[in-house]
This record gives sequence, structure tokens and C-alpha cells, in this order.
Amino acid sequence: MSENKFETVSSCVDNYQHNESTFDDIINDEHLSATWDRYHLIGDVLRNDTPDIFQLDLSAEIASAIADEPTILAPKTSNVFALKFKAKIVELAKPFGQLAIAASAAGLMVLGVQTNVAQNNDTILPSQIVQTIPMAGIAEPVSLNFQQPDRATQKQAYIEQQRRFYALLSDHQQQIKLGSLAVNVVDNATENTETDIKKVDEHNK
Amino acid sequence: MKLLSSTLLLLSLSFSAVADENKSAKAWLERLSSSLKSLNFSTSFVVIKNNQAQPYHWFHGTDETNAKQLEIISSLNGPRRDILRIGDIVSYIQPESPPYSVTSKQISGPIPAILSGDITQLESGYDFISVGRSRILGRPAQLIRIEAKKAYRYAYWLWLDQKSGMLLKLSIVTKKGQQLEQIQFTHLEVSQKLSETLLQLQSTELPVIVDIPQEYQQQKLQWQVNWLPEGFKQINSNRHKISLTKQPVEFMLFSDGLVDISIYVNGTQDKQRDADFVMDGATVVLNQVNKGIEVSVVGKIPSQTAKAIADSITIMPPKAP
Repeated sequence: MSENKFETVSSCVDNYQHNESTFDDIINDEHLSATWDRYHLIGDVLRNDTPDIFQLDLSAEIASAIADEPTILAPKTSNVFALKFKAKIVELAKPFGQLAIAASAAGLMVLGVQTNVAQNNDTILPSQIVQTIPMAGIAEPVSLNFQQPDRATQKQAYIEQQRRFYALLSDHQQQIKLGSLAVNVVDNATENTETDIKKVDEHNK
Repeated sequence: MKLLSSTLLLLSLSFSAVADENKSAKAWLERLSSSLKSLNFSTSFVVIKNNQAQPYHWFHGTDETNAKQLEIISSLNGPRRDILRIGDIVSYIQPESPPYSVTSKQISGPIPAILSGDITQLESGYDFISVGRSRILGRPAQLIRIEAKKAYRYAYWLWLDQKSGMLLKLSIVTKKGQQLEQIQFTHLEVSQKLSETLLQLQSTELPVIVDIPQEYQQQKLQWQVNWLPEGFKQINSNRHKISLTKQPVEFMLFSDGLVDISIYVNGTQDKQRDADFVMDGATVVLNQVNKGIEVSVVGKIPSQTAKAIADSITIMPPKAP
């Protein structure tokens, strides 16, 4: 019989027998079930299906772990109540969160707008000075009155200076032309003055 | 003893060599002067300054019948500017004024007049150095440098034709060797006979001679120039109005023979203005106002020299009658 039983276990492992009663027999018989385990393990090893870490008696470990766990004594609550409660929390939280988001967004916007305004102020002021755009206000006309004539006079002074230079240059050339004739004359003149000085010297003596 | 005598001999030899070189440089310049006075030539040249080139024609010859020199220098670009000369009469035809003539032996134009005059005048302020040969206008040329003895003036480098002694190129150069102005000849023809243009000039009637009384050019002014580079002599001192601005000025003209310096002094409404200058080629125009007195210096001199001259001017207190 035992020889026979092992054969049936083997045939069951190999899927040759599909008799419910024999399966039950194998499960109920401790010895046979161990044999069933072993045969499967042998088959796994032969087919190279074994995992890297062997946990040969996993079921026993799990069973012992379950036995160690403390028994939880909690009141049985209905699923409906839990759902309602959850929904209520969501309902409360949602508008609150949205409000918070809205508020923070508004805060950001306020900040952004403020910085934009500040930047605009920065860029507006110098452009006003440079372009001297007449604008309503108190400070601008002062800067206008100060700036415009200054730049105008500078430009005018430059033009004036260039004109002066050109006039001097052409007069210089003109005077050389007129002066060249005087070279001989001047020689005579200096001689005259020299003799004059001599006369004066003699007179002083 | 023998060694000493030999070194002395060597020294004297080298000295005489230097002297010879200077002499030959001077001889070259004297030859140029006589060539410019005696030859019949017709030439073209360009004046290069401020990155611009201004072309000119230049004719010169001597009238055989009365030994009068005939000369024409005319600017070829822009409005007509001609300078005509028959003997001692020089006429200027230019757009800014009606044509006029003056009594003078030399033309005041782009070519320094001293080159056809007495070169010995320049010896006090300049050294003459014969440098070497090069090829200019397709001819073998001798480079002669007229170097200022001190940095107050520019140097003039002349390239002279070895065959005719004529001017082929002229550069005005700073002490550092920077070229400020250049005259480059582009054509030179020396002939035995007078050219057609000069024959026409012979029969031309020149404009009326402007007579400038001697007293006008030698007025006593209430200021003096206390410093000028060596060798500059006063040519004129007068009061006149600058034609373009109608500004009345007191004026003095100085020359060392090669370079002319104009000094202008006038009162102005501006209290103070820092020295400012522009360069037209080698010519500097410097202008400054000190305590309500405007001083301007114009001439072919470095700007530092012009500034030193302007700063040296003192106004004399009016004398009590």
C-alpha cells in the first residue's frame, strides 16, 4: 500500500491523476503531504526552478508568526459610516485648501505686482531724465530747465570752438602771406630800433 | 706716443667725416635752393594731411629778357586757389577774398619758402643730416633731414633728385618719427625753355598790390611773449579783425625761417577756458582763456610748444600817461 501511495503521489505531481479523493488523501496524510512537498522540490531542482534563498518550511514560519500576533479587539464598524465620515472630511478640507491656494496665489500676485511696479518706477525715472519728456509734476520741470540749456550750450560751445579754430587757421595763413613781405622791412626796422637804442644809451651817458 | 698720434688721427678723420656729411647735407640744400630759383620746371605734387590728398600744379621759370622769375602754384581740387608770381610781385587768387598782390620775393604756399631762400638762417635751430639714398618718383634720390635741435619743433625730411637737385618728396615728422604731413611729387619735368603756361603769365596783368604801411605791422601791444623756441624772430605785430568771425585781435607773427607762429590775444566774455587744440596736418591751433584774456597760438609746432608759448604771455599794465 505504502509503495502504491507514493506512486500515486508521484503521478499526481506529474499531473497524471486527477482524482479528488486521492488529493484529499495526500493532504490529510502527513507523511504523504511531506512526500508531495519533497517530490515538487525534486522536480523544481531538476527543472532549475529553485529560488536563490531556500525557505524550505515557509508555511510553518507563517503559521508561527500568525500565532505570535496579538488578537485585535476592535468594535465592528459599518462601512457606510466610515465612507460618510471620509466624505465629510474631504468636504471640509477641500474648500479650505482651495481657499488657502487662492490666498497664496493672491499673495504671489500682490508680490509680483508690487515688484513690477517698483521696476517700472526704476525704469521710468531715468528715461524721464534722458528724454526730458514734459510730465505733470513738480520735480521734472526743474530737471528740464537745468538739463536742456546745459546740453544745448555744450553743443553750441563745441560748434563755436570749431568755428574759432577754423577762423584762426585761415587768418594764420592769411597773415603769413601778408607777413612774408615784411621780412625785409622788419630787418630795417630792427636796425632802426637798435640805432635808436644806441642813441638813447649815448644820450644817457 | 705712436698710439696716441694714431688715435688722434683717427678722431680727426672721423670728425672731418661728420663735418663732411653735414657740409654735404648743407650743400644738397643749397643746390636745392639754386635749382628752385634757376630751373625751368613743371611739376605736380600732392599734399597729404588729415587722411586727404590735395593735388597741385607748380610751374617755375626765368624770363630770359629781364631775368624775372615766373611762378604758378595752383590747387587742382575744389575752389580755385592760384598763386602767381612775376619777379617781386606775388598774387593770391582765392575764394575767401578778392584777388590781391603783395610785394615779396617768395611764395607762401604748400612748399616752405625757405627752401628756395637762404638755408643758413636755419642753422641755429636745426641740424642738417644727410641720411641715405632711396628711389622716389622713379629717380635715385638723396634723403636730407632738417632735424630740430630740441623737441620744440618738428623735423623736415627732404628727398632730393640726384640729377637735378629738385625736391621729390617732403615729410614733416615728429621727434618720435610720426609723419604729420607729406608732399609727394608725382611728376617732374625740367626743360630748357619756358612752358606755355608761364609764357601766358608773362603777359598777364596782376591784381593791384596791397600796400601795407610799415607802422601798421609794427604796433606796440600791451602784452609780450616771454618764451619761444630758439631762433624765432618777431615779423609782425598788429591789430586786426579776423575775417571770418569779425573778432578784433592783437596779433604777433614769429618765424624761425621755416616755421611761422601766429599769436592772437583778445578780451572775451568767458572768464576761464582750458586749453583746447586741433591739428590740421602739422599745424596746431591752440586756444585758451585765462582771467578773461583769450590767447591763441597757431603754427607747425607740437601742441606742448604751443601751450608753453601761450602760458608765457604776460599782459603789461597800462602805463600812466
